[in-house]
Parts: sequence; C-alpha cells; structure tokens
Amino acid sequence: MILSNTGCRYTKYGFSLLRYTSTSPQVIPENVIDVQQNQKNPLDYPDYFGVHNLFTVKDLFDARVHYGHKIGSLNDNMRSYIYGSRLGHLIFDLDTTAEHLRKALNFTAHIAYRGGIICFFNRNSLNAHIVEKTAMECGEYAHTRFWRGGIFTNANQQFGAITRLPDLCIFLNTQNNILNQHTAVRDSAKMLIPTIGIVDSNCNPNLVSYPVPGNDDSPTAIELYCKLFKSAIIRGKEERRKFLQETE
Amino acid sequence: MSLIGIRQIIPAATKYFRYPLTIGTFQYCTRTTSDPSNVLNDLTDWETLNKKKKISKAMKAYLERAKEHDEFMKRQQFEYNIGKRHLANMMGEDPELFTQKDVERAIEYLFPSGIYDPAARPSMRPPEDVFPARKAAEFDEAGRPHHCLFYTGKPNFFKLLHDAADHLQQLYKYEDQVIRKKATPDPNGNLQLGGSMWVNKDQLEQLLVEKISDLEYDNFKVVMERLVSLPYSYRYKDFIEKFRKPLAVQKFALEIPKPNYDEEGRAYITTYECLRKKARGDVTIRSPGTGKITINKKDITYFDDVQSREQVLFPLIFTGMQNRVDVECNVEGGGPSGQSGAIRWGIAWGLRSFVDKDMLQQMQVAGLLTRDHRRRERKKPGQPGARKKPTWKKR
Repeated sequence: MILSNTGCRYTKYGFSLLRYTSTSPQVIPENVIDVQQNQKNPLDYPDYFGVHNLFTVKDLFDARVHYGHKIGSLNDNMRSYIYGSRLGHLIFDLDTTAEHLRKALNFTAHIAYRGGIICFFNRNSLNAHIVEKTAMECGEYAHTRFWRGGIFTNANQQFGAITRLPDLCIFLNTQNNILNQHTAVRDSAKMLIPTIGIVDSNCNPNLVSYPVPGNDDSPTAIELYCKLFKSAIIRGKEERRKFLQETE
Repeated sequence: MSLIGIRQIIPAATKYFRYPLTIGTFQYCTRTTSDPSNVLNDLTDWETLNKKKKISKAMKAYLERAKEHDEFMKRQQFEYNIGKRHLANMMGEDPELFTQKDVERAIEYLFPSGIYDPAARPSMRPPEDVFPARKAAEFDEAGRPHHCLFYTGKPNFFKLLHDAADHLQQLYKYEDQVIRKKATPDPNGNLQLGGSMWVNKDQLEQLLVEKISDLEYDNFKVVMERLVSLPYSYRYKDFIEKFRKPLAVQKFALEIPKPNYDEEGRAYITTYECLRKKARGDVTIRSPGTGKITINKKDITYFDDVQSREQVLFPLIFTGMQNRVDVECNVEGGGPSGQSGAIRWGIAWGLRSFVDKDMLQQMQVAGLLTRDHRRRERKKPGQPGARKKPTWKKR
C-alpha cells in the first residue's frame, strides 16, 4: 500500500486518467496545452505530457498484448484483468490494460520530468537486447542480466561507495524464470522504489506499484512497450528542458 | 583527483556511447578530459542545465573521499621530497638534481640488504608508485551513473556483450539485403584469424578493468565465435581484433646465434653451461671439420661404455653432421652418464646454427633441444634408498 501511495504522490489526478481510456485517442485543443504549460505545475493536470495519445487499443491488439498463458497457470490475483479464454488460452481485457498502461506512462513521464533515474528490467534473453537498446536511446539504465543479490538492499557494499538507486523500475517481465518472481521486484518494494511491471497471467502483481496486465513474452509486445516508455520518457525530458531553459 | 578533475568528468553523460576500453581507462585515471559540447545533445544531464545545482549524497561522499585522498597524497609527496634531500646530503650530492635513480643507488649503498626477496629490501619510491590510483566518480553531481548498464555491476563487460549482439543483428540484416539484391559476397573481405586467438580471461579483465567469472568468459567466447562465424563478419573487423592476440612464435627459432670465425677461417660456436645430473661442461663446434671429437683432451674413448659414446654421437648422426664438424668439450663433475648427457645437449644446442629449419623442427621433435632437469633423489631415513624399502618379513 505504501508503494502505491508513493506513486500517487506524483499524480494527484492519477485516477482521473480513467477519462482517457476510450479506444480512440482524445485530442486536447492546443490552447489548453499552452495554458497548462504557462502555469508550470504538471501535477495539477491529469495528463500533462499527453501520454494518453501514444497508443490505441488497436495498437495493443496488433502487438498481441492480449495473449495470456494457458488457463492452468493463472495467478489468482490476475483474475480481474482477464476478459475470457479462447482455445485454452487466457485473453486480457485490453480496455483495462490500456487504462493501466496510461497510468504507468504518465507516471514514467513525471519521473523523467523530475530527473529521476529509470531502470529497465527484463530477464527474457529473447528480448534483452531491445530493452537495453531502448534504455540507451532514452539515456536511462537497464539491467537484463543475472541479478546478484543485494544490488538495491546492500548497494553501498556492492558498488563500494554511496550510490544513488533508481527512482523507478520498469519491469518488462516480472518473472526471473517461469517459476520465480524477479528478486528486484521484492527488493524495490523493500527500498520503497516505485515499480511498473508488465504482468502476464501467470505473474503476481501484488508487489508492483503500477501493474500493467499484458503479454510479456512476444517480441512484438515488448517492442511496443519499449516504444511507449521511451516516448513517455523523452516527452518528460523535453518538458524539463523547456522548463529549465525558460527559468534561466 | 582535484576538484578541477571532477568538474571535468561531470558533463560526461555520453560515456556509454564510448567504447568500453576507453571507459575502463577513464575509470582508473584520476583526471580525464571530456568534450563539453556534447552536453546539450544529451537528454540526461539535468543538473548541468539546472542553475541551482543540487549535489547528491553519493557525489558528496565521493568528494569527501577524494579530498581526503588528495590531502594524504600531498603529505606523502612532501615526506618523499624531504627524504630525497636527506639522501642527497648524505651522499654529498646536489639535492636539486637528485633523481629517483640516484635515490635507488643511495639506498643500495647506505642500507645494504641481503634479503632474498626484492620486495622486502628497503626502498623509497614516489607516492604515486606506491599508492594505487583511485577510481574516479562513476556518476555525475546528481548521482546519475555515467554508464547505462551501471546497475549490473559489470557495465563494461555487459556493454561488450551488448555491442556484440548489436553487430550480430546488423550482420543478419546486411546478409538479408545482399541476398535480396542477389549480389555476390566480396571475395577480398575474408577475416583472417588463423594467426591469432581470443584474449584469455586475465587479459580480458585487464581490457575491461573488471573482474569476470569463468562462466562470463565462456559466454564472451561463445558470442564472439558466433559473430566470427557469420559470412560478413569482416565488416566488424576492428571490433573483433580488439579481442584477439597473435599466437606466440616458437622460441628457439628466434634465438639462434650466428657462429663466430677463428683465425683459420672456420665457423665455430661455443655452448656454455651444458648441464645434466651433476655434470657441467662447455661444447665448441667447428665447421667445416672431419668429425674429430675431443673430450677433456681425449677422444671418444674418454667414455668406457658404449652407451655413453652413443649418447655423444647421437645428435651428430641424427643431423648427418658426424663427418662435417669438429667437437671440443670440457666437462667435469658427475659420472659418465651425466657427462655424456651434458655433451649430447651441448652438441645439439650448438648444431642449431649449422642446420636448416626442417632439421631444427626434427631435432625439436626428437627431444634433442630439451633440457633434462632431473636430479638425484635424496635418500630417505628408515629405508635404504630414495625409494627402496627393506625386504618385508612377516616377523
């Protein structure tokens, strides 16, 4: 609970994003954006960075985000995100997914705006390269390798000096292997680092601050997530740059 | 490790676009230069853009450590200079012109030491040599690490793997393009890797300035082998060759001495320190000759038994030089077997200068050029010999 509170602190209107969850992107008139930017407090706006128009539900469907695992592997906590099953496979409700994903993107953009460190995680070696590439392209950090215990919880020893930890962890895959959850999910929770996680139907969303139900295995889906998070981060940073240049 | 040094590091948020090797050297040198024009191209460097600079806890701790280290080094430098002047005065020389070489000479003279291990002998070296350089900060003032894979703990190694994977993908793409255009591959573009091998684990660790495990080294080799196996791998020749080293050339082929000439105009070569068991000797070979062998001013009958004579003649017969060179030896110590073995090695070693490369290879294979370092094994108490035990009796 503490974690989701940390997340909500940044988005006072976090839940009002529900308005923007329709399948077609809603367009805000440009003068509204201008007014928003002149007042310069992004937290007063439900969607300051306009992340809601980064994607549509159709995009999610095309990227095969709706495919879950087989029925038998369903985690009970994921039950509410499921639309139904087809030929023994679970199908996610993409409207719910879109809602959660927009909240996550909004939060990411806010963190980027505040100069936070964002770290991408993914233990699936098929997708590891694109995740690292995404992190490099938006000037953030990635960890797609074996997780040595204590990188967060014993950081000063591990790195030999006082080290700043990430301010947001984005898990494109919350599992370490098919059986166990990634230790960094637990460790981020311990260190009060907010997390965004793509949770598949066999994953546990309980420790993730911003769970996004969706397919976490297919390269197409991962590519889409990477693209979205990258553009959200870049929007946040652009806003930051404008803000800094104006205040100079 | 001055404050100026750190300032120079700060706008270096583009570090991850550099090659790991340069990052490695960057981390371990205390001063570095970086290009400040890149700052505005990069989206990450918030605190350099920000007017009111906030320094993170991590940076503050680093600055404190750096300051402490600086003061320590300054003190050490001061003490070193005083010591140097004292030594110069003791030696009656000009302290201003006293160099490190003079210091070593002075210490050897003033504090003679018979200690076997050089590391334990008295010495005085400048503090930079004694105390290792400290790591420069791996993060900027805001505490943001420079390297995008910093949190993996081995950023340079994993960046290397990332680059290799990137090159693999580029090559797959390129191959597809070539096939689509129905072009033929460039025949000159082959990668020649016959004369080199992958750097070993220690060398790779040195290149990356990071400790890596055996498993990680194996992963490195697997990835690189895969990259090399692709038909267009020559496109990343520079990348691949950074991690190759040339195979060692065989040693004896390089060090063959040229023969000298005596007053009669005959080529001769003398091999000293021909050792076998307790025997020591030197062997001189003269060419051209008639096959005359002189051992301690006697001929081959110096040895009574046939086996020892065969030992002496073996290298000459093996190379077919028995009637073309003269051999003179002086040998002492040991018995006939040791002496003949010493002479045999000395003749073979000297003959290297008079035979061709193929024969040299054959001699190497025949074991003629190998030193026999075996010595007599000592007698053990409680038994009659080195290995021999008393006869077993039930009671």
